[in-house]
Amino acid sequence: MGANQSIPKITSQDRAILDLKLQRDKVKQYQKQIQFILNREHEIAKEHLAAGRKDRALIALRRRKYQEGLLAKTDGQLENLEQLVSTIEFSLVEVSVLHGLKQGNDVLKAIHAEMNLESVEKLLEETAEAREYQREVGDMLANNLSLDEEDAVQTELAQLQQEAVRSPPHLHICLS
Amino acid sequence: MPSLSTYTTPSGFLLPSIHSAAPFFTQQPFETAQSSATDLWTRLILTYARHRRLFVLRVEDTEKTGGDWDEVLRNERINRRMKAGHLEFVLGSMVTKGLAAYEPPDQTRSVLLYWRLPEEWAEVLHEWATNTGQLNTILTFYEITDPPIASELSGLPLPLLRNAIAILAKSGRAQTISIADGDGVRFFARTGR
Repeated sequence: MGANQSIPKITSQDRAILDLKLQRDKVKQYQKQIQFILNREHEIAKEHLAAGRKDRALIALRRRKYQEGLLAKTDGQLENLEQLVSTIEFSLVEVSVLHGLKQGNDVLKAIHAEMNLESVEKLLEETAEAREYQREVGDMLANNLSLDEEDAVQTELAQLQQEAVRSPPHLHICLS
Repeated sequence: MPSLSTYTTPSGFLLPSIHSAAPFFTQQPFETAQSSATDLWTRLILTYARHRRLFVLRVEDTEKTGGDWDEVLRNERINRRMKAGHLEFVLGSMVTKGLAAYEPPDQTRSVLLYWRLPEEWAEVLHEWATNTGQLNTILTFYEITDPPIASELSGLPLPLLRNAIAILAKSGRAQTISIADGDGVRFFARTGR
């Protein structure tokens, strides 16, 4: 059930490509056939020559030449067909690239719609306001410490500094 | 009586020692004796077919010389060859076991050998399409079985190819396209599991 949904419909485009490829195969098969005739005429000519029938051998070789010409012609046709197939397949790739680009573009547009300048400005403004508020709260708290408490904080700081001087941190690392 | 030994054929195939035993070439009258011989013949035929990439075995291959199957169906060293009726019996047993199929279907003298089962061919086919970057591309049967450069699928008979494609189509990994001039197929990546 689920697997069937992923199978694309056969479009007329698909049929056209298949048709083209089948024609290409036909030309290839035709070439095989000519190659077979070429080999056969060669054998026939050899046999006639061995039996001393020079004129018959000549006829076989002429027929061979004619078939060789045909083979060369079909080579050209084959090239045309294969080029057309390649071109179509390349165009299909281009179409899918275009489709990919379009989808990417749509996504980008949707993202931008959500992220318009006005709302970004507003957001930044609000953030600045919040930061200002935070600073004010901090100031207020700092100012609220009593003198005693401030003294205690200063003493603690001095103590920490002395300790740091007595035992430099790199010594600790060496000992441990 | 010469001692039985293995033998390497000109095509580089190692024949088992049983192939040098004269009775092996004669259909046994008792069912038990014949059934083990049939199993041995089945294995020999399938391994040889895999070795030479042969897909078809016909009862008439026992009667003509110079064919693809000479190395197996006859043993000039002990002057034995398989009889037509014997081979027809072995082929029948292979068809019953699903190791071969009558092709065309309504006769019993020619089979398509399954040295890979159709399910296995389906996997080989899908792997080939994936590895050669031909998923989602429309391919003709001819370009699968007759590629300019030989592949694992070169020479694969059409009935077997159709069978393998049908198996892939069941799991949504292939789709056949038919137009007046012939058929094509398109492969898809494995969808979920």
